[in-house]
Amino acid sequence: MREEFRLLVALQDLDIMIKEVEEKKTSDQLKNMGFQLDGLEELQKARATLAGKIPPALRNRYEKLAGRYRMAIIPVTDDKCLGCFVKLPTSFFSSAYSSELITCENCGRLLFIP
Amino acid sequence: MESKKLASLFQEDLCIFSLRSRKKTSVLQEMVRHLKASGKIADEHFILEMLKNRESLGSTGLGLGVAFPHGRSIAIPDLTVLFARSPSGIDFEALDSEPTKVFFLILAPSEKGAETYLALLSRLTALVQQPETLEKLYEVKNFESLQAVLGSDNG
Repeated sequence: MREEFRLLVALQDLDIMIKEVEEKKTSDQLKNMGFQLDGLEELQKARATLAGKIPPALRNRYEKLAGRYRMAIIPVTDDKCLGCFVKLPTSFFSSAYSSELITCENCGRLLFIP
Repeated sequence: MESKKLASLFQEDLCIFSLRSRKKTSVLQEMVRHLKASGKIADEHFILEMLKNRESLGSTGLGLGVAFPHGRSIAIPDLTVLFARSPSGIDFEALDSEPTKVFFLILAPSEKGAETYLALLSRLTALVQQPETLEKLYEVKNFESLQAVLGSDNG
């Protein structure tokens, strides 16, 4: 997997975490269980640092997709994009293993092979 | 979540009854490596980074000697729970500053909602509030005794 794609995946994981803390319902649930969520600023700093390591063109592509979908990067399961559930063409698999960034031809999301 | 279902979420190959690590980050590493060795995850890097970020939000060591490292990642295919125990306890920066002896690592796929793991987290955090259960958890040395503790809960 290309390094910038690894960074992008880590960025999405971080975004999901930040979103959970910002969602009142989820953060209230966590606080009720006893978790302290005081480090949101730390997470945002970590996000800025991580985002700064990603080439701008790729980062912009991610941000656009993240604005459009709940997740910009989506796993592939049973040869299907889990975002739009469209079966991927056979050609996808030959190119996937060449460690290039793969995009779902149907929905445009970036694809991740677990 | 019924107690039977709670116990069934744990797997024998996802238990560490005597952690070797003595420091917070290395405990996380040991647990994540165990997940990789068991074939549950393909890439430990993403999970470890996510867990370290989660700890920077606030320690998941809630006190009473128990920690609940948790989070969601695209690198997790299914809801996964790992149980780990440190007989002597380690400094996990717990909220009560006491050593942490029991770890419930809970990981969920990011494409599913937070509710996939919040229900389990809620059940487990409630479970350790029962003093008798907690004492038993400190002492579990094998999968059978862990299953007995989790299965005996009627909460």
